[in-house]
Amino acid sequence: MGSLLGDWPSFDPHNFSQLRPADPTAQPSKLTPVTYHPIHNRTIPPPNQVITTESKNILLRQFYQKSEEQLRPKTKRAASESLMPEHSCKQPRGLNSDV
Amino acid sequence: MFRSNNLTARIFERQILTPRPGTSINLFRHFYENVCPSHTVYDIDCPDLSFRKFTDDGQFLIGFSRNHQDLVVYRPSWLNYSCKGECPYSLDLPPKARRFDSFFRHLFTISLASANEFICKDFFLYVDPYRFGLFATSTAQVNDNVASADGAIHGVPSIEKITFHLVRLDDGVVLDEKAFYNDFVNLAHSTGAFLYDDLLCIVSLRYQTIHILQIRESGNLVEVRRIGPYCQEDDELFLQSHAQVSPGSSFLPGIKQRLLSFIFRKTWNEEADQSMRVQHLKKKFYFHFQDYVDLIIWKAQFLDRHHLLIKFGSVDGGVSRNTDQGLSFFAVYNMETTEVVTFYQNSSEEMYSFFERFYDFFNSVSRNTLHAQYISSHTNNSHALNQLLNIKSKSGSFSQFVKKMMMTIPYTCQSHSPSPYFDLSLFRYDDKLISAIDRHRHSTEHPIKFISLRQPNVVKFKIKPGVEGGGPDGGRAKKVSSFLFHPYLPLVLSIQQTYMQPTVVNLHFKR
Repeated sequence: MGSLLGDWPSFDPHNFSQLRPADPTAQPSKLTPVTYHPIHNRTIPPPNQVITTESKNILLRQFYQKSEEQLRPKTKRAASESLMPEHSCKQPRGLNSDV
Repeated sequence: MFRSNNLTARIFERQILTPRPGTSINLFRHFYENVCPSHTVYDIDCPDLSFRKFTDDGQFLIGFSRNHQDLVVYRPSWLNYSCKGECPYSLDLPPKARRFDSFFRHLFTISLASANEFICKDFFLYVDPYRFGLFATSTAQVNDNVASADGAIHGVPSIEKITFHLVRLDDGVVLDEKAFYNDFVNLAHSTGAFLYDDLLCIVSLRYQTIHILQIRESGNLVEVRRIGPYCQEDDELFLQSHAQVSPGSSFLPGIKQRLLSFIFRKTWNEEADQSMRVQHLKKKFYFHFQDYVDLIIWKAQFLDRHHLLIKFGSVDGGVSRNTDQGLSFFAVYNMETTEVVTFYQNSSEEMYSFFERFYDFFNSVSRNTLHAQYISSHTNNSHALNQLLNIKSKSGSFSQFVKKMMMTIPYTCQSHSPSPYFDLSLFRYDDKLISAIDRHRHSTEHPIKFISLRQPNVVKFKIKPGVEGGGPDGGRAKKVSSFLFHPYLPLVLSIQQTYMQPTVVNLHFKR
């Protein structure tokens, strides 16, 4: 497959079989992409997942979000808690961290 | 993007061009740069009516008789004529081009107001999917010595009877009526009502109630909910059967209770230090308690089918249309859970940031109505945003600027014309002289120019509102103009009213 798509793997070896490379001297073996099957299940969608449009529009979502902030009781530890948020987006890696 | 400005070249391009996904309508609207109302018929001979507007789907032209009692509806069509042999473009238009009925076909005239009632000329809402029109008639307004009724607040005038009429515009049948007695609804420019899909909310200022009505396909106006003294449907029943209300005391109205409890919880949670909370509450809440209790509902709009945005203010400012920038408040109310979601003052910077970023969502219409998606605002158009930011930077005081911008919220439904000639991505125009909002303006002698955005030196068309030749008095008398743009045809009616002189109606269209 070479060229623009690089050597990225594909799930199904029969994909891209119709693709003819621009370079006529390319070896036929490169026309079949490398096959890859994931061995972890971190990327599988949760069962019974249904994707729908959020019924509240963005303006209402903003109102609700601000309202939650206003009504959440603020404690004296608020100052120290504010140091945490910048790290909360990072999650610890699992044991199989090199996949 | 079309490569050429020429109409023929654009038509050929359209045959082969595939616009980017989702932008085909945006691209084809550029044809309006080529098709403009370039020709004017001055002082067209038309019936003496006060024309209100074209409906947003372009099917009807609404007018009222001079005595404010009859509704007159026309269907906009187009001039047809033929000529023998070769028809050079420079040929003059036939005499029938000067006739009103070449462009408008009279559909019906019905009488809406009985003897002592008058149609409110400013009020009109169009129910798009069913082609119904909502009109209002009222008796005279009583300002002084208003007899206080049970539940009515002081300081608001009273009208003996206000009736809302639902008319099927295809044939003029009055389908349903809803009357309010000894009440007051702000009918000017349809501010007291808001239409969202098939839901209508009417704000009764005198009784401080928001009536939610549903317009059924059969043409019935059904009252779904009444918010104000009570929030849930069975509140009244519950209170009457359980509460022993001693004479002289009364409960606060339901909506006021929800509002005060929200403000209480917010103020309570603002103070982190537990020991200071009571002090903070005293200062921020109890000190202003009576002011909060005295607030009245000014205006309301739907944000979606379950949420209302309600504007609260003092009794003085509710009725007057002046541009007073006093204190007012916004509350978002969820009709299903009967909770107040949020509460802001009109000078709030947070509320202003929503206004700046999400203004299109205040102009809330269901996603099914296509024409409303293309109304230019500072949220969907970079030129309008630049204009807003310019005003922001030039204004002396930021909080005054914020208060001024907040006067446009809640949005007044159907107040912007969907005509593509007001689209800021296509044309530039002086918005002090003309704009999408249908209001009367002081007339100017000079023609109003519409300049193409992409070709800044080219004036695409002009609208000269005056009488041809300047008029008999040389243009000294004060004139007021209003403009009615058809939503999609290059057809504009400009109406000029001069004190003590007959009204002049000009027709601008593409030859």
